[in-house]
Amino acid sequence: MSLKLDPRTKLYMIFVVSAVVMMSATTPFLWAVRIAMTMIPILLLIIEKHYAAAFRFLIFYGTALLLTFRFLSENSKGFLSAFLVGYCSIIVQFMPAMITAWYVVRTTKIGEFVCAMQKMHIPDGITISLAVVMRFFPTIKEEYTSIRDAMKMRGIMLGGGNAAGIIEYRMIPLLFSCVNIGDELSAAAVTRGLGGKVKRTSVQVLKMSAADYLLMLLFTAALAVFVVSKYII
Amino acid sequence: MNDKKLQAKDFITIGIFTALLFVVEFACGMLGFIHPYIVAAFVVLIPLVGSIPMMLFYTKIEKFGMLSIMSVLLAIIMFVIGMGYLGAPLIIASGVIADLIARSGGYKSFKKTIISYGVFCLWICANYFPVVITADSYRKNLIDGGYSVEYCDNLFRAINSKTIAVLLVLCFVFGCVGALIGKAVVKKHFEKAGIV
Amino acid sequence: MMQTTAQINNVTYRYKGAAENSLDGVSLTIQKGETILLCGASGSGKTSVIRLLNGLIPHYYHGDMTGDVKVNGHDIANTQLYELAGVVGTVFQNPRSQFFSVDTDGEIVFGPENIGLSPDEIMARKDNISRQMKLDKLLGRSLFELSGGEKQRIACASVAALLPEIILLDEPSSNLDMQAISMLHDIIREWKRQGKTIIISEHRLWYLKDIADRVIFMDKGRKAHEWHAKDFAMLSEEETRQLGLRPTNINEHYLALLSDKDNAENGHTDISDGILLKDFYFSYHHKPYILRRKKFSADDGDDLSLCIPELTIPKGKVTAVIGSNGTGKSTFLRCICGLEKECTGVIVSDGKEYRKRQRIGFSYMVMQDVNHQLFTDSVEKEVLLSMKEKDVKRCHEILDTLSLLGYKDTHPMALSGGQKQRVAIASAIAAGAELLLFDEPTSGLDYAHMEKVGKLLRQLADSGSTVLVSTHDPEFIEQCCDHILQIKNGRVHPCLSAAR
Repeated sequence: MSLKLDPRTKLYMIFVVSAVVMMSATTPFLWAVRIAMTMIPILLLIIEKHYAAAFRFLIFYGTALLLTFRFLSENSKGFLSAFLVGYCSIIVQFMPAMITAWYVVRTTKIGEFVCAMQKMHIPDGITISLAVVMRFFPTIKEEYTSIRDAMKMRGIMLGGGNAAGIIEYRMIPLLFSCVNIGDELSAAAVTRGLGGKVKRTSVQVLKMSAADYLLMLLFTAALAVFVVSKYII
Repeated sequence: MNDKKLQAKDFITIGIFTALLFVVEFACGMLGFIHPYIVAAFVVLIPLVGSIPMMLFYTKIEKFGMLSIMSVLLAIIMFVIGMGYLGAPLIIASGVIADLIARSGGYKSFKKTIISYGVFCLWICANYFPVVITADSYRKNLIDGGYSVEYCDNLFRAINSKTIAVLLVLCFVFGCVGALIGKAVVKKHFEKAGIV
Repeated sequence: MMQTTAQINNVTYRYKGAAENSLDGVSLTIQKGETILLCGASGSGKTSVIRLLNGLIPHYYHGDMTGDVKVNGHDIANTQLYELAGVVGTVFQNPRSQFFSVDTDGEIVFGPENIGLSPDEIMARKDNISRQMKLDKLLGRSLFELSGGEKQRIACASVAALLPEIILLDEPSSNLDMQAISMLHDIIREWKRQGKTIIISEHRLWYLKDIADRVIFMDKGRKAHEWHAKDFAMLSEEETRQLGLRPTNINEHYLALLSDKDNAENGHTDISDGILLKDFYFSYHHKPYILRRKKFSADDGDDLSLCIPELTIPKGKVTAVIGSNGTGKSTFLRCICGLEKECTGVIVSDGKEYRKRQRIGFSYMVMQDVNHQLFTDSVEKEVLLSMKEKDVKRCHEILDTLSLLGYKDTHPMALSGGQKQRVAIASAIAAGAELLLFDEPTSGLDYAHMEKVGKLLRQLADSGSTVLVSTHDPEFIEQCCDHILQIKNGRVHPCLSAAR
């Protein structure tokens, strides 16, 4: 089974979850809504066959949840438990946003994302730049891996007796490479018509399906519950 | 070719340097997992380390929009990776203001560049917004749960709604210091190698 | 009556900030459907001619230009680059840097999207081109996992999707292996059959001899010679060498060897004095483990990316490492110099054993992209960085033997490619490495530079270092290598002695 969600739905999910993690759940009902909201991206990850990630998130979130509730109810005061609670609360608080973000980043192609942005009437300049950002993350990783190899061979991983070198020796070759690649990339892109006056088109077909509407509805409802309980009651 | 408008090549350059800056942020973020206090040290680390690519970036385009677009991109990325959108106004505002300052110096005046970069660095504080906003209710939760007030204050000593002002100032100051260092590095390497 | 497609009219051009003219009164008339090969040394103006035709000069690279260029009725100086997108297409040298998307599909449709074609039209073009160029296996994949040759095919497809009448190729084979070159050859021939006008700037000449109609030799920014393909093929090896060109014919023996064909004559040569590699096993696929990671061993059989029970590398000689991309050449070199930590394996030299981290000190690799291994702001500091005890005098000696002393205060990044390579070699010598590894040091070099690298490797070997060099250039093996190691599927086939 595969469920192709529209990138706009995904962005909306992030939006709602990011809003909800800012509000604290005070009643069991709110907690239930919150946990249910976290389960949705985990479920979606399973549908998209990212089993390992879904499992990891589930365990992580579950443990943190359990610890928070147990320790918070027990009036424990030890340093370790305090430390643990500190970590767990942060995880419980922000993990839903992380899981949703991870799901979106992993399951959305850059082309889809760019197309969604075009549909939302974001100027071409910004979508082009953003596409370059996405293309450059793996490039930076490749370049950095080679640079680190070269540093290993020279034995200067720790700066070669020069603390600033730790950063300098990594950053300088990386910048030189990226600037070079950027120049060549720009030349190749403009000869293929980037930067023309015509509006760019996109072959990506974005269509909202029933699942999209359903999810949007669910998330809107969840948001409404939180907003109402925070500002009205 | 003194076109004042950004061209395709410029958008690509902006994309590259945004990616580089974000990698710096991300690398520092990894350190943040070790201990939450390191998160507070972002205001020192990111302006200093980020200054090297940024000072090179300042020499590359010299047109209005370079910093504004970069800030919009940062805001979008922060949103997508789940860091929330509350920081977005701060990120974009510091980007646009930094852009205006740099433009007033024609993107050539180094003094203006220093201030511009200092202002630009304020975006880093957007990292703290989720924590700051949730801190109060979170603190209440902990106290209700039986923790001492002292402990809770300790937990949020470095980052709360009062210290955020201090953090903003620190960002600016270390941004200016970073600009000086970054400029020195650009001179030492990129100007000497003749690519600027 | 032949129809003129492009015309360069007495163009002189100087890049902004450059001391000399890159083009000096160049005129060239190109007929429709012609295939032109541009050859000549690096810096002779080949690339500048390509850039004139695609408009990068004067719209992207700024400088002083006189004369005019007309392509398909467009006056280049007054035509914006994006208006040329459907007229002229360009395949560039570096497969890594010329793609804009992250996936193959996105890359093929990138151009058509830019010029605002309708999605239906774009998809039709994409299907058509992937059928023509047999790209089914490459569709839907990340560009970052493709080999250089595959990337270059996608680059060709991406250019073809704009249906340009004129296709320019700027040293397209520089980073390719034999197999990929023959694919590239087929693509170009297909374009020729379709009646496209093709201009190729290239150092490797042998694979183009049945395609080119006309050969133009550039020298110091001028058009120095021009031949019909027939006459060019008649030039003797001596004559091409005089011109500083790589040979147009390649010894069949090497072609077969480099194309990964089996060679029956596994002639084993006796090596009296050698560096012994023992038990080199390595795999990129980790076996699942619970507590302790199990070491790789010969028992892992086919899972191994590298499997060398025992191998002797002749000391003080230059040994070529050949094999197609992806068969384990780079893995082999990386394992020897200790970059793959998990690679088992011991190096024995002069009765001393080097294991694990010690391998790093014993050997040193000069990377294909040498820019990655230059860290400091002057050549002198770069070499000193490699020395445990900073010895300025010794540093100057090393620089002197590599004729770099005059550049000791220059920033390494300001040097030419060949000089950068020599700086990296200087660092290796300063670090006291006995075994020097070179990862494709000649890709993209013209004949003169290739010869220089060859001489340098000989010089290193004669002064006692052992040199291993991976390469796809038969000309280069012929020139400077004593032995050949062939790598196939991570297995090394014994040293053949090169017919030097």
